Amino acid sequence: MSSDNRAEALEVKGLQVAYEQNGRRTTVLNSLDFKLGKGEILVLLGESGSGKSTIAKAVTGMLPPSARIGGGSLRVGAERIPDLGKPGIPWERIRGRGIAMLFQDAQSALNPVMKIKDHFKESLLYHGLASAEGAAAISVAMLERLNFKDVRHILECYPFQLSGGMCQRICLALALCLEPAVLVADEPTSALDTVSQKEVLDLLRKLQREMGLTVLLITHDIAVANAVGNRVIVLNKGVIEEEGETRTVLTRPGSAYTRELLAARNRIARPARGLPPAAGKPVLEIVRLSKTFGGKKRVLRQVDLTLNEREILGILGQSGCGKSTLAKCVAGLERPSEGRILLRGADIGHLKGKARRETSKRIQLVFQDARASLNPGRTALQLVQEPLQYLRIGGKEEREALAAYYLHEVGIADEALTRRPPQLSTGQCQRIAIARALVLRPDILICDEAVSALDMSVQAQILELLQRLQRQFGFSILMISHDIRVLRAFCHHIAVMSNGSFGERKQESGRLHESRQPHTQLLLKCAGDMEDGLV
Amino acid sequence: MHTVLLRKLLEALLTLFFATLIIFALIRLAPGDPVRLMLGHPGEIAAQGTSAYDEKVAELRAELGLDRNIAVQYVTWLGRLAQGDLGTSIFTGKQVGSEIAARLPATVTLSLSALLVQIALGLIFGMVAALRSGKLADQLIRVACVALASTPAFVVGLVALALFAVKYGVYEISSDFSAARLWLPALTLGVLGAPQLVRIMRANLLTEFGKIYVSSAQSRGLDRKRVVRHAARNALIPLVTMVALSFAGLIGGAVVIESIFSWPGIGKYALDSILVKDYPVIQGYALVAVLMVVLIHFLVDVVYSALDPRIHHKGEAGREEKA
Amino acid sequence: MKRRLNSKNPASLIIGLVVLAILAIAILGAPLLAPYDPVAQNAAERLEKPSEKHWLGTDRFGRDILSRTLHGGQTTLLSSLLALCAALAIGLLVGMAAGMFHGSALDHILMRIIDVLLAFPFMVFAMVIAGLFGTGLVHLLLAVVSVWWVSFARLTRSVVLHAKNETSYAAAKVLGASNLAIMRKELLPKAISPVLILATFELGTLILSIAALSFLGLGAQPPAPEWGSMLADGRAHFFQAPHILIGPAAFIVATVLAFNLIGEGLRDRLDPYEKLEL
Repeated sequence: MSSDNRAEALEVKGLQVAYEQNGRRTTVLNSLDFKLGKGEILVLLGESGSGKSTIAKAVTGMLPPSARIGGGSLRVGAERIPDLGKPGIPWERIRGRGIAMLFQDAQSALNPVMKIKDHFKESLLYHGLASAEGAAAISVAMLERLNFKDVRHILECYPFQLSGGMCQRICLALALCLEPAVLVADEPTSALDTVSQKEVLDLLRKLQREMGLTVLLITHDIAVANAVGNRVIVLNKGVIEEEGETRTVLTRPGSAYTRELLAARNRIARPARGLPPAAGKPVLEIVRLSKTFGGKKRVLRQVDLTLNEREILGILGQSGCGKSTLAKCVAGLERPSEGRILLRGADIGHLKGKARRETSKRIQLVFQDARASLNPGRTALQLVQEPLQYLRIGGKEEREALAAYYLHEVGIADEALTRRPPQLSTGQCQRIAIARALVLRPDILICDEAVSALDMSVQAQILELLQRLQRQFGFSILMISHDIRVLRAFCHHIAVMSNGSFGERKQESGRLHESRQPHTQLLLKCAGDMEDGLV
Repeated sequence: MHTVLLRKLLEALLTLFFATLIIFALIRLAPGDPVRLMLGHPGEIAAQGTSAYDEKVAELRAELGLDRNIAVQYVTWLGRLAQGDLGTSIFTGKQVGSEIAARLPATVTLSLSALLVQIALGLIFGMVAALRSGKLADQLIRVACVALASTPAFVVGLVALALFAVKYGVYEISSDFSAARLWLPALTLGVLGAPQLVRIMRANLLTEFGKIYVSSAQSRGLDRKRVVRHAARNALIPLVTMVALSFAGLIGGAVVIESIFSWPGIGKYALDSILVKDYPVIQGYALVAVLMVVLIHFLVDVVYSALDPRIHHKGEAGREEKA
Repeated sequence: MKRRLNSKNPASLIIGLVVLAILAIAILGAPLLAPYDPVAQNAAERLEKPSEKHWLGTDRFGRDILSRTLHGGQTTLLSSLLALCAALAIGLLVGMAAGMFHGSALDHILMRIIDVLLAFPFMVFAMVIAGLFGTGLVHLLLAVVSVWWVSFARLTRSVVLHAKNETSYAAAKVLGASNLAIMRKELLPKAISPVLILATFELGTLILSIAALSFLGLGAQPPAPEWGSMLADGRAHFFQAPHILIGPAAFIVATVLAFNLIGEGLRDRLDPYEKLEL
């Protein structure tokens, strides 16, 4: 599988990119070289800030105006660009037929006011690949190849009528009907749920086999790299740490950085659970809870769930299954349409005003996007005092002492107490958000995808922190996630949600594989396949 | 789609209904006795204080139903309006309805032509400013817009008149409603309203340029013209709403322009009537102006839902394919 | 967090502020700076062209136009500012209430009222008020306030609705904040800057509209030295003595220009998107 004896589809040499903002220059890529063989899938693997997305933009000429290209040459098939920094590059000749692109947010990558068929027609006609009638036939054939069933109907749809996974497959079809030399895919599956992700990745491999598709796939996800990559380049702060065949890099990593990445990933999977739950001592009972939006859209249907004291309960589900709505109902952000939410036996589902605010002391929520949940104008110390002020607890000094104590507990250093969110890392923001939730000493902490947006190493740290805090303070956790790996290691029990309801009662997380629900089995299989071969 | 339009139609009717309520309330709140005011015709002032005058007052009061309950009065008034009866002018004694109908074409022609001018200028210069964002052309357009938006309408009107009528003599000063006299007031009114549309078109386009579907269209190798066309289609949709809002401004601005250019429209008619306190004309003018605005708002809603597929396909977002 | 002054286009903000400062000094200092008594008539110097003695000429009663314009600015500026503040206060209040209780009966009623008022073009409304209640500045300002608040209410409401979708709003609710605290700490700060930008532009439009109505004879009435009434006065003599109009018109243009430049400058500073090229 050596790439040397193959013809190259793409070659990048000495690529240097910096961003300039308010007169400050930050180098993102420093003299980067790589080659991509014909018919190969090369994965660029890196955490946030590694410069991986900048590469995708640089080779397609789509860097923002603040980017400065210091130098670098590009070769795509027969097309050569000796200096990417010079203006006047014929990008219109390279894009589309030379290099095609897939974006993370596929739904936004399609024009919202154009039907799917018009996207195809425009591309094919513009590149002179088909006549108006021929375009329809080509698009039908291409969509069928990409597992679409009701193709005629799909072509008549607008993008917003289709799911994210379908849009990504349509984008793939749009790219492929131009027969590009290289497909650059920037996090193409990160916004998709496990099943759609697996489907898109399988398609890439199938197309590689069947039509010799060449792919440069950019991702932060080791499992994605494992599932599709022939070769992997590990990128760290704009520099290549390691390059090699996927299996070798991911099982016998040569560089210290890659080893760290893999270790962080394994730490997440290590079952080190918090205090054992008190069986039969429910703190929260959800009884036949339903939620309907606008009188039509049923998001939750007759959900039953019990959370015991000190229990860590995971709720696993795909995007749009209703798990976040459930979290919002419990946290008092949404009012249930039917059913009851009992906190130690008292219904809290329909409380209003002051009574609802009182339940804030018992139930707290940590959001996925910690940074967005914090007011950027306040210091860490002020932020953690917010709930105490809102609920008029303690005097000025007492509040400050409490805030300082919890900030210390979540591992915020003293010198960071007076910093504001823009000066703090994403991990630190999430720690502050946790401190802010715990300062009220809640019985229940809801984590709504609280670690999903974080880099692997930070994810591991936050999960360990949550476990330590749970052992220390003994609260229950409702952990909402789409990530089966995180939940299996972190939770005592897991309940799987799909289409607004739980198919069966919660299971011990170690025995999830014994579930008889086909949906649960499908999730397990998809996740398992992608992990296949990883230690 | 039909249910959306039906709802919009009902909303428009409701707005119209409340607007009549406001106008009715204002008339009733106005100082002075409407009957005495209606009788206040110069020729009859001499008769004031005589018993014949008082008799006539009572007679007219009964005739107008002013001695009845206020709700009944409103309903009667509304009923008359519905039949197109806007009352008679105190000053001339003519039917307000037919007087307005005679002048309406002039105002409608003027405002619609001005609207076209405004839209054309807004689209062209907004597009140029967005495409040349930050460059000289953009700066110049921006300066021109700020300057124009800071100049009173009558200054532009008077200058236009002084230039084209007095200095060059290419424009005839008269009070006729003719096609040959339309161009100057229409251009003036259109140019005055253009800066707002230019600014919004530019901002909308720049916002769209930043969206992923534009990058995606670029990545398919489409040329600049086609990529811009993608963005423009989306940028135009919110602009439609803006056009509706600026139409209300046009109806108002038309008064000044009609007055300066002696354009025989309803604005000028109303203005002349205000100075002599001709209540029925003022009331009729307000009703017609509101009706025009509501009508344009409704038409814009129709266009909007035709342009944006997300309106009439509401509620079917993100369906998963049944595998 | 303080926003840093964006280097993109500070010129317009600075020019606007300088022009406004000069105007403010000239207008507020009118009693000291004006060369003549603004209401003193002089039959010997009627309709004189601008000269060394009368920089902007004299009107049909021989009154000095420069003095009248400087004095007149006080009324115009103060009354516009007053009207704007009233409209701003009503608009913010209504917009916050409608946005905060989005979907409730209160929101529906407020939105209906806004829709109805939107159907009344401002000029038409002012004409109706002037026609029914009599001409004059006070009636004009009442008419202004009663329809002008709508634009602020609409903007505030949309900002609030947008902010309610943000995580920080949900976070404040989860942390036990009362509706009042959320409005004060989360929503109002977000609404304030776009509303202020709109206000600077609207102030310009407001001055222009008042001037237009005055020009039509529906605003302040002579002999008060007020820009609008001077315009109405000058209109009749425009073709013989255009300078009567030019004095106050130039001041109006300068004032509105200053506000528009400040508005542009403020918007640039808060502009969220980078210049994009295609």
